[in-house]
Parts: sequence; C-alpha cells; structure tokens
Amino acid sequence: MASKSRWADTEEDAAQDAQRKREKEEKKRLKAEKARKAEEEKRAQAEAEAARQQQEQQEKEQVENDANNRPPAKRRKVTPGREDGSVAEGEGGVEEDEAPKILRFEAGGWGPAHSVENYDKLNDIEEGAYGWVARGKEIKTGKVVALKRLKLDDGNSGAGLPETGLREIQILKDCSHRNIVTLREVVTSGGPQRIENVFLVLDFLEHDLKSILEDMPEPFLASEVKTLLRQLASGLSYLHDRWILHRDLKTSNLLLNNRGCLKIADFGMARYVGDPPPARLTQLVVTLWYRSPELLLGTETYGPAVDMWSVGCIFGELLTREPLLQGRNEVDELTRIFELCGVPTDESWPGFRRLPNARSLRLPPKSASSVASGSVIRARFPLLTSAGCALLDGLLALDPTRRPTARQMLAHEYFAQDPKPKQEAMFPTFPSKAGQERRRRRDTPNAPGRGQQAAVDLGSVDFGGIFAGREKEERGGGFSLRMI
Amino acid sequence: MAHMTNPLATVDQLYRRTSFSALPSDLQDVIFFTTQCLTQAAGILLRIPQSVTAQANVILARYWLVESPLSHEFSDVSAAVLFLVAKLSSHPCPPRDVCNVYAYLLSPGSNLFPRSNDASGPPPPAQHDPSSYYLSEAAYAAFHGRILALEGRVLHALSFDTHVALPHPLAITYLQALDFLEQPRAEMARRVVEHLNAALLSPQLLYLTHQPHALAVAAIYSAARDRGAKMPECAWWEVFDVDREELGFLVVGMRSLEGLVRKQRADFEELARGTMITRKFVEAEMKMRGLRFGNGSAAADAAEIDEETAMMLSMDEKADTMEQ
Repeated sequence: MASKSRWADTEEDAAQDAQRKREKEEKKRLKAEKARKAEEEKRAQAEAEAARQQQEQQEKEQVENDANNRPPAKRRKVTPGREDGSVAEGEGGVEEDEAPKILRFEAGGWGPAHSVENYDKLNDIEEGAYGWVARGKEIKTGKVVALKRLKLDDGNSGAGLPETGLREIQILKDCSHRNIVTLREVVTSGGPQRIENVFLVLDFLEHDLKSILEDMPEPFLASEVKTLLRQLASGLSYLHDRWILHRDLKTSNLLLNNRGCLKIADFGMARYVGDPPPARLTQLVVTLWYRSPELLLGTETYGPAVDMWSVGCIFGELLTREPLLQGRNEVDELTRIFELCGVPTDESWPGFRRLPNARSLRLPPKSASSVASGSVIRARFPLLTSAGCALLDGLLALDPTRRPTARQMLAHEYFAQDPKPKQEAMFPTFPSKAGQERRRRRDTPNAPGRGQQAAVDLGSVDFGGIFAGREKEERGGGFSLRMI
Repeated sequence: MAHMTNPLATVDQLYRRTSFSALPSDLQDVIFFTTQCLTQAAGILLRIPQSVTAQANVILARYWLVESPLSHEFSDVSAAVLFLVAKLSSHPCPPRDVCNVYAYLLSPGSNLFPRSNDASGPPPPAQHDPSSYYLSEAAYAAFHGRILALEGRVLHALSFDTHVALPHPLAITYLQALDFLEQPRAEMARRVVEHLNAALLSPQLLYLTHQPHALAVAAIYSAARDRGAKMPECAWWEVFDVDREELGFLVVGMRSLEGLVRKQRADFEELARGTMITRKFVEAEMKMRGLRFGNGSAAADAAEIDEETAMMLSMDEKADTMEQ
C-alpha cells in the first residue's frame, strides 16, 4: 500500500501510469489479434487460448478500472488535509475536545451460581488436603474440565464456609494468565436454600509434574527444565506483581498439559499481601519439603521470597526427579537445608538470629564451619551449567532478601544460554494418569492444615553434628561429561 | 486491573429492581439506607477497618439486586455479609462477637439512629439497660445459624465473587496528583473520604453503577466545592477517565443523599423513634397501603424457610422467656 500511495499521490504520476497501462493494453490487443490469426489456422487450440486471452484482457481492464477509480479516492484523502491546512483548522481542535480519549473498564456483572448438574462426572482424579478433584464434562458444550470440591466444615466449628476455599476462589477469579490455572466458574449442589457442596470448575490438565517425575525413566533434558522453570517464573511473577503469595508451591501443584504448557494450581494457601507485608502471617504454610528456612525459623513477616525458595526446591527436583530436601520434621528439614546450603552466618544472613526459633539454635563452631559450611549446590548438581548453578544458588539463598524475584529470575542468563528453552509444542507427551480411573498417589506431605499448632519452639536443637562425617567425604576432582 | 475495577449491575437488574419489585421504592430506599447504616455501625463496634466494612456494604447491595430484600430479615443479611467479608479480610471476627454487636445495635438503647425529640411512642428505656441486649445461648445459636445459612445464600447469589475494589485509595492518589487543590491536605482528604463513605449508604447504588475511579473523581469534585477550592480550569476529570456527564450524575447523586435521608426521617416515624427498620414494620406498612407482602417466589422462599425455622424460633423464644 505504501508504495502505491506514493505513485498515486500526484496527478502526474497517475496519468503516466494510466498511459503505461494503455500502452500495455495496446500490446495485448495486438497479441490477441495475432492469436486470432492463429486461431484461423488452428481452431481447436485457439479457442481455449482466446478464452484465456480474453480473461487476461478482462483482468487487465479491471486493473485499469481500479487504477481509474483510485485517484479520486486518493484525492478524497488529500482534501481534508488541505481543509485542515487552510479553512477548518479550528474545527479539528474542537473535535479533539469533543471526543476525549476516555478509558472504559469492563469487569462483568454478577448473578446466581449455576448448578453442578450442568456437568457429568467422568472419573475421580485425586483427594487432596483441601478437597476432592474429579474430571467432568460440561453437558452443554462437551468440554472436559476439572471439578474441585471444597471441603466444607460440617458446621461444628461454626465458622461457616472455609475461608481458605473462598480465598482460593477470589484469587483465581482475579487471575488471568496462561501459566495459572483458569477458574471457569463456581457451581453448587443443593440449590440456594441450602448449599451442600461447592465445586470449582477449572481447566483440565492431563498431568501434574509430580507424577510425571515419578514415572519418567530419564530426567528432563536441560532445555525442558528451562521451559518448565520459565513458565513457572512467568506465572509467579504475575502473581507477585498482583500482591498474591501462593505459599504452597510444589511439583504436585504444578499441572502440565499435553502441549507442554505448565499451570500453577491449588491456591488453597494463597493470600493477598501488601507492602509492607502484613504482620503476624501464619508461618504454617508451604509443604515441609518446600518450606523456606525463615518460615522454619518462625518468622511472622515474610514476602514473595518464600515462594522463590519453593521454586529453588522445584528446580532441584526437576533436575534429579527426587524432592530436594525431604525432611522428616521441621528440625530435620532445617538440618538438610543447612547441609545443602551451608550454615547461616551473620554475613550470609544478617539478622537471622533475631527470628523466634533461631535463638535456641546451636550451630557448628565457626572454625569447623569455615571449611565445611559452604554451599554444596555446585557439587550436588555436577551436570548443571554454571549459570544454572548460579540461579539455583540464588533461589536457595538462606537470606530471603538475597533470593531473586520472579521477574529477576525470568531475566536470568540461564534462560538465554544454550541449550535454549525447548518450544512448548515440542515437549514430549506422557501417558495421562488423571484421565484414567486410577487415583494419583500422594507421597508428598500435605501443606499444613489451618489452625494446626505451629511448631512454636523447635526446642534447643543441636546442629553441631551435622557436618561430622563431612571431612571423610571425597571432595573435588573427578569430572563428568555434560549432557545438554 | 482487578484491584481497580468492579463488576457493575446490568441494566436488566436495575430495571427489575425498580419496576418489578413488589416493594414501593420509598420503602426500598429506607430499608437500604438503614441496613447500610447498621452495617457501618457494627463495623465500628467490631473494630473492623472501614476498608472491610465498605466492602460489606457493596456486597450487600449486590446481593439485593439478585434476591429481594424481603426474603430475609434485613439485620440478619447485614450481619451475614459483614461476617463473610471480615472472614475473607485480614480482620476476621468470631461469630460470637458479630452476634453480640448486632444484639446490642438492635436493642432500643443502642442509639443507632438518634431519636428526634418530638417523636411519639414509648418513652426511651432507662439510661443503660444491659438486659435489653442480653443474648441467651439459644438466641445466639439461632442467630448464628441464620448468619451461616445466609452466608451461603449470599455467596450463591453472587456466584462466589466477593471482589470489591474501593475508590478510597484511588481518590487519595488523584488528590496527590492534583496537589490537594492547594488545600490543607488532611482536611481535604477527610472530606473526600466522607463523601465516598456517604455514597455507600445511598439507595442510588452508586457503587454498583460506577467504577471506583469515577466515584473518586466525583468525591474530589464535591469536596472541592464544599471547601471552595480552586479546581483546574480545564476538564481535569477527563485526565482520570471520567466524562462530564458521569461526573455530573455522580456529584448530584452523592449530594442528594442528605435530603433523601431528611425526607425519610419525616416520612417514617419508626426512624424518628430511633429503631431499626424490620421486616415486620415493612409488612405492616405495606398492609396499610393495601399491598401484598412479598412477590410470588420470594414469599414462597421465605415461607419455606420459615416453616423449618419458625418452630425452632418459637421454642427458642419460649426458652428465653423461661430463662428470664
């Protein structure tokens, strides 16, 4: 269009062009005449050719017509400019005032919830800490969805509908991102008089990362790990930008569909926070194996960094197919953390001594720790590139303020280096468990229940011995082939 | 954008409210205003921040566009909504507290609505009579049960969407952008917030028909007029995505509340006597005007519930009297 408008801008050009067209037309006509002469010689062939010629001619004529029609169109375009320039300058200004650009916000409306009768149950998927999930089909559209039933208190506690479920609904309703599971609607059974059950209608995804990791014979390729991590970070940065903490990130809460798209699910622990973070948040959040050291040490103010720690644990798990820090209880979990990441010092984590549970900690003496207390992440993941190690090291920083934010993580050079993240469409597919009758196994411990007693005091715990056998370990040396 | 936008009432919902409701509009207005006042008062006594109570006001207004106000006792709905919104906020309050506060507010001595001096009716009870708002165990259980049932009902009616974006933070941000119109900051901000809070009580449902940014701009405009502040001479509201018409409508709507309430006080002696409007009162009022109480479905609903609970209630009341 741009080139055409250039030649059509002036009358002269248009005229020239028209002339050129006419000349071409003449030639065509001559050719046609020749063809007609040929036609006398060879009738059978000529008929077809003539038809073709005629068609061509028609086309040419059409082009000419177009060309003839175009100049007035251009002229029309030009005229307002001229008027603007000379006569109607004021009018243009007024017009701007009359129609200011005003943003309109659409956020829908509200109405009664629909009934679960609109869905057919296909099969159960799993029974989690916060309810029961089944695969279902919307009768009207035939669309397959996941139905998650909220656990309702049986009225004994007298608190009505559980706020965790209501918070989950509210947060999911506010979210719309390709890496966060979509809440289509909330349906009920029992009618408005007396609600028996509340179901969340969610996107159905074939897998969760946990069961894939358990079943796959070979670990994910480096490029696949990158794709998964990048999607996780992208979803998480969306949440954190909106002041939402997930507080229960783990591989069984990350869903994956057959097209390689990862979605964060299960917002039963999630909540909105502000800045500064609200005081007296419960530290009883996040499944133990993914719980950050500051939570284990009993902090009451925390922020997005607790989710980033979980991302670090998930990163490690994606590399090895095994949960990274499988503590048996809070103390054991802390021990494993310090074994992997080193013992906190005032340099590596300023102020950790002030946390409620840290006062009674007995850490290994300084002299011993100076050798052995460094992070062993590099040694644990020999196949990881140095950029990958740097990222994992950052995510598993003991000091929450040193962990990268989700946004910083997305910009990390780990994702820019070769091998590049695999395209989602190229992702391998896995046999679905959720689609079949079989229930998912649940090996991970569950997120702490609400109202459960927090481990207020870890007791005076002796971490002095955790590095006892370490000197005997073989260190350094050796190399292994890097697989990319 | 979720934190800045609200779902809005559809034209159909508003039309049904005004045209198909069995309730005369003046009664509808007085129910709305008094119930919202009750919610506000309860929020103050429960020490819930205004940001939470205001959300409860909006949720209640939304609920009443889906279900008729007549299907449940107004104070019950107010308590249920406040309990629900507080539970979801970072300031939950136990059901026991909610019940106690409402029992107090509904008692004659609460001064919820100041009595006017020339009001007829029974003389005010002695200065302070704690027995008038004593909540027996049975009465508590009944009230608590009603709140929980209503909580589910409200959530169902709104399909579990409890999102409310309030205009207050936006208004302060806009004020900062306008440099507080060269007025003392605290006073100007207070006046704006006052306008926004008053608009919560307006039966014109301003929070259901307009987005928070428009409410914020209208409150700033009103406050500036109140204080005689000099506003920018250009169409400054357009900078905040509000057009002139919308602003005009909202300003008139906000400023008309006072007159409306004055008129209500003159029209309804119940209000002047300083008590909360109840369903019983509305029923009597409608009978007096020769109207049928409740329209088809709502009445049926109410009857259904009543059959179940009426028995319980009467037993509770008997238990109450026996205890006393």
